[in-house]
Amino acid sequence: MAPKSYMRVENVTKKFGPFTALNGVDLEVYPGEVHALLGDNGAGKSTLIKILSGVHQPTSGTIYMEEVERSFRSPRDASAAGIGTVYQDLAINQLMSVTRNFFMGRELTSTLGKLRIDEMDQIAHDEMLKIGIDFSDPSQAVGTMSGGQRQTLAIARAIYFGAKVLILDEPTSALGQKQQMEVLKTIKRVRARGDIAIIFITHNEIHSRLIADRYTFLALGQVIGQGTKAELEGGDIRRLMAGGAEIKDLEQELSKI
Amino acid sequence: MSERNESDRLQEESWIQRMIRRPEIGSFIVMIIIILALGLASEGKAFNALGLKNNIAIIAQLGIIAVGAALLMIAGEFDLSIGPMIAFAGMSMAIMLKWGLPFGLGEATPFTAFIITMCMTLGFGWLIGTIVVRSGLSSFIVTLAFWFFLRGLTEVCFRLINQNTNVSGLPDFKQESWFAEQMGGEVFGWLYDAWFWIGQKVAAGLEFTAGMTKDEKIDLINYLSFLNINRKMEQWVTGFDARLLWFIIIAGVAWYVLAKTQIGNWIYATGDNKESARANGVPVNRVKVGLFMFSAFCATIFAACQVFDTNSSDAAKGMFKELEAIAIAVVGGILMTGGFGSIVGVIFGAVTFGLVANAVFFIPWIDGAWFRVFVGTVLLAAVFANERIRKRITGGI
Repeated sequence: MAPKSYMRVENVTKKFGPFTALNGVDLEVYPGEVHALLGDNGAGKSTLIKILSGVHQPTSGTIYMEEVERSFRSPRDASAAGIGTVYQDLAINQLMSVTRNFFMGRELTSTLGKLRIDEMDQIAHDEMLKIGIDFSDPSQAVGTMSGGQRQTLAIARAIYFGAKVLILDEPTSALGQKQQMEVLKTIKRVRARGDIAIIFITHNEIHSRLIADRYTFLALGQVIGQGTKAELEGGDIRRLMAGGAEIKDLEQELSKI
Repeated sequence: MSERNESDRLQEESWIQRMIRRPEIGSFIVMIIIILALGLASEGKAFNALGLKNNIAIIAQLGIIAVGAALLMIAGEFDLSIGPMIAFAGMSMAIMLKWGLPFGLGEATPFTAFIITMCMTLGFGWLIGTIVVRSGLSSFIVTLAFWFFLRGLTEVCFRLINQNTNVSGLPDFKQESWFAEQMGGEVFGWLYDAWFWIGQKVAAGLEFTAGMTKDEKIDLINYLSFLNINRKMEQWVTGFDARLLWFIIIAGVAWYVLAKTQIGNWIYATGDNKESARANGVPVNRVKVGLFMFSAFCATIFAACQVFDTNSSDAAKGMFKELEAIAIAVVGGILMTGGFGSIVGVIFGAVTFGLVANAVFFIPWIDGAWFRVFVGTVLLAAVFANERIRKRITGGI
């Protein structure tokens, strides 16, 4: 059985002047799967997601959405094609309520631009409940929410506005242990829907092993390892995570100092 | 889930607790204190028939520009050019009414003078907004530049065209022009009529004797002033200044737009964090330019009410009004950093400021300069209070 990929990236290269940020990267994402994108700082993860979400255009290479070739000239293009990106800063406003954040820039209105606030409250509440947070008061300011809850809000918002491919940019970094687990649970719930492909960018090997179905490792702009969970062993993951170096080598290097 | 949920940490509140935690509560309490204090110190004169009219005139005047300044501050920008914009608009209307329309278009009517002036001030508002959003410069410095530019331009125009820095003694346009009457005339006359009618019924029961002492006569006149009756037993005050109606309209529309509409959500989003607003598709630049134009609109209405009320204009009009408008907005609970606040709070702020600014007329023994001392104190207290509110909402960050 070979499920159809939602999005396929072929041989994408990105150069900034003389600097090659990405060099011939391939990537495939499938609905109902979490695809972990791992790599050290400067490996090219950010450049890759910026290309996928339409912020940058690739120097060469092709992006297919459901086997149709697409090119995104702007973030709006990408989002219209069903790519929802949740950046680290989450694009959330602290002083505004949950509902007002949820519908920011895409408000539901009736005549004369009047907000359909009850309906919006209901939708925001229901959408967040689906992926794990039960809010009693959608008029609560986002500033009072925990980091994990804000992450959930941003994810629920991306899904509600039509994301089929959900790109999560280091969603677990800068969070406490317990909140990290909340976010991982949220990702699992999204995965369980079965119709959304998730690209999960992370530094954290443990988190990726907890929820990922498929892995891509980047180092210095190139793919150094790729495969499903079954294909890769734990040791492989750790080695690839460190940019291809053996953990024993690292231990040796450290003990020399 | 049996365990405690994150959202359980936010405790349920009764409606009284909710009211107390509302951001407008501070400005509301200050307003009530001022109303009571002024009422006592003036022996009620501040709220007799004439006192109420005079106080409301000032409150409405300040309120009109404070609403414009407040919306702009919620979107994260300042407008220091409100005062000079008032002077410019007043100059433009008065000059046209005296010397005719530009380019030899003939005599000006109050309406044509107003419309042409409004086009110019909205143009300035658009220009200020466009410079701010395109250059990314602080609106403080851009509007400061326009403060000087417009103050200078107003005086130059006065001197070039009228050989003087003011226009006075214009005919009373309110007599024949419906439009001028709506700007500088009176409104809600029926309220004072009703007041007078009730007053007559009450006065009919009073005993008048020829042998009253002087003190008794003064007491009686004071008493009658609360019944809207003058010494000749006729109606004393006939209506509020028309600017009250403009204040109600502008504040009402602004409240509705801000609290209930999509544009309101955009204004909050723009002022809170414009990058995340932009990332979600909010047209941040259009919101800001629109609000600079709205601020210019409010200043022009202010000027029109003044010109058609007094039939004159002066280059020094609108002095310090930009600072008063900003101060009212802050006292009304608008955050200096934007993204938060309500029009209801601004209305409370305008009432407080208007009453205090006028207090000298009702309390003869007080020095008028105490007004500024009071403003400074309240302003500082309000900034601290607002900062506390912001910290509470953002979880202390």
